[in-house]
Formats: sequence, structure tokens, C-alpha cells
Amino acid sequence: MRHLKLAVMAVSFLLVVTIAGCASGPSFSKSSSESKSAIRAAEEAGSINTPSAAYHLQLAKEELARAEALAAGGEKEQAASLLTRAEADAELAIALSHEQDEKMDAAKAMERVRKLREENQLPIERSNP
Amino acid sequence: MRFLKYLVLGACAVFLSSCAATIPTELSKARQAYQQTSQGPAAQLVPAELHKAKQALDRAEASFSNDPQSYQTKDLAYVAERKAMRAEALASIASQKRDAAQANKAYQTSQSEVIEKTKEDLATQKTEATAAGAAAALEAEQLARREAEKRAADAQAELAKIAMLKEEARGLVITLSGSVVFATNQATILPAAQSRLNQVAEALMSTDKNRQLIVEGHTDSRGSSDYNLDLSRRRAESVRAYLISRGYPGELIETRGIGEARPIADNASPEGRSNNRRVEIVVRQGAKQ
Repeated sequence: MRHLKLAVMAVSFLLVVTIAGCASGPSFSKSSSESKSAIRAAEEAGSINTPSAAYHLQLAKEELARAEALAAGGEKEQAASLLTRAEADAELAIALSHEQDEKMDAAKAMERVRKLREENQLPIERSNP
Repeated sequence: MRFLKYLVLGACAVFLSSCAATIPTELSKARQAYQQTSQGPAAQLVPAELHKAKQALDRAEASFSNDPQSYQTKDLAYVAERKAMRAEALASIASQKRDAAQANKAYQTSQSEVIEKTKEDLATQKTEATAAGAAAALEAEQLARREAEKRAADAQAELAKIAMLKEEARGLVITLSGSVVFATNQATILPAAQSRLNQVAEALMSTDKNRQLIVEGHTDSRGSSDYNLDLSRRRAESVRAYLISRGYPGELIETRGIGEARPIADNASPEGRSNNRRVEIVVRQGAKQ
């Protein structure tokens, strides 16, 4: 009976330790997966074609590599924290890439209006949105 | 005592400067980035994203309060800066989308304006074409009138060469000598006179060919007046028939036998009688309606 009580206490302690470990933050593997996913999305958004986006994509990749190195050295908590930088840079790269696309689309739309008005001898200033 | 005061003040200064130096670069940048973004269009265009950036900065500030130099504080501040930058980029995207939408709307409006302008241009062109047509018609009419006047003047000049012409109230009077055109007491046109009458006919034909003619026969006073009246009528008829044979419309030619009633010279002398024996062709003014 006494052994049973000790065993229950030991299992309870292990459970508490495990739950406490999980509550301390996301696991490195999960964060790493999310960072990689964000980097892949940034690449697919064409970040490489926009200088500012390409710069942040490069930072994200470097941060991911440093995080993986830290994790390999056993510094998983610091590595997971560093991965938040990688994910933030990758998400910024996506936004900057989209911003460039939208700028080009808006410029094209305005140029289309200007050209139409010019070809038909309409006042140009009224076409500016 | 004074020394102690300076010492305390110096210690405070050193403490404060050391505190200022301990703010991580990442946090300084994050604060600056958020301040810049919050003062831009992001607050209006992407308030939710700006709020996320604020939350990230708050987390970094909280971490800084607990452990200023920890890697967590630096990483949280770094992420907060990126989120502020991302909010600014997203605001720019929203702004560009708005501009593009307005440009597309302006394009549709411009297309409508183009259609309206095209309609107006067509209407203007039509009006101008109508005006040009009217001007061309007027010019053509003026040209035709000038040509008709020239033909009439040419015909008159031609007639003046072959017969005596006189402008009277009843019209242009062409006088042909009776002794040249007819034999004595005859109403038949002499062959020698036909060429002269041909010229008269051609001159009349060269005009509009719609002038009314009155052919009048005149005689001298020798013989009975009845005879002379009949002779003058027959001679007028002969000239009418000849003009018709040359192509002048018969319905426009009227004949009158005047006889000896309107002499133009003294019948006592042979010369005067010769002048009285004549045929007058009166070309009436204006075309017959």
C-alpha cells in the first residue's frame, strides 16, 4: 500500500513537470515549422524580386539557421525565441512584396486613365484619383 | 557636507546614465518604428494591425521591466519593430488598393466622357457638313448665275455684230433689215439672209433658251395698209418658223404684224422706206415662268 502511494506521487510529479514544461512556451519544432512555412510563403510571394522584401527574407533565413544551430546545441528555449524573429521577418517580407505589387497595379490603373484621357483630348487633371 | 551633496548627485547621474545605456537597441528601434507607424495612415487604414504592433511592443516593454538585457526582451522588441513595419506596409497596400479602385472608377467615368465627346463631335461634324453643303450650294448658284450673265452678255455682243440692237422698256430689240431678209412683196426668207438669221438663232440659243420672243413685222407705207399688215404678219411668221427650225422653243415665240403703223424713218425717201421695212425680234426681260 505504501509502494502504491509512492508510485502515485511519482507519476503525479512527472505529470506536473511535463504540464509545466508544455505551458512554458511553444515547442521548438512547432515554431520552426511555422517559421519555415512563413519563409516559404515569402518566397512564393516573390519577395526575391523586391529589394526590401528580399532583405528581410534573407534575415529570416539567417535567423532560422541560427535558431537551428542553437537548438542543436541544446539551447531550445533561446532557439524558439529566435524563431519569432525569423517568422516576423518572413511575414514582413510578404507584406513588402505585396506592397510593391499593389503600387505597380495602382500606377498602371492611373496610367491607363491618363492615356485614355490624353488620347481623347480630355482634361488630364480630372483623371487623378 | 557640500562634498556629500555632490557625491550623491554624481552617483544619481551615473545611475541614470547606466540605466539609459541598458535599453537594448532592438527596443529603441521598436519604439521608434511604432511611433512612426502610429502617426501615419495605418491608424486609419489598418487599425487592427497597428493594435497588434502595439501589443507586441507592450510585451517587449513588460519583458524589459522584468529583465532588461535578456534575449527574450531583445527578441520581443525585434518582433515588435517588424510588426510596426508590417503595419506600415499593410497601410500602404490599403492606400494603393484605394488609389487603384479610384483610378478604375475614373477610367469608367472617362469612358463615358469619351462617348459623350464622340457624340458631340459627330453632331458638330454633321452641323459643319450641313453648313458646308449650304455654302457649296450658294456658291454653285452664284457661279451658275455668273455664267448665265456671261452667256447673255456674249450673245448680246454677237448679235450686235450682225444686227442693230436697242435696249427698250419692253426688252432687247434686234432689228433685221427687211430688204436684206425678204424679196419685195414676199414673205419667204432669202437664202442670203439665212446665214444671218442662223447667227441670230445661235445667239438666242446660247442664252437660257427660255426667254420669250416677240417677232414683229414692219413695212413701209407703199400699198394698202391691209396688204402691208398681212405682209408684215406673214414675214413675222416666217422668221418664227425659221427660229423654231433652228431649235428655239415655239411656245416662247409670239408673232405680230404691225404693218406700216410704226415707222422709224420718213417714208418719203427710198432710204427711209428701206429702214421702215424691217423685222424686230423683241427678247423679253426675264425667263418665262
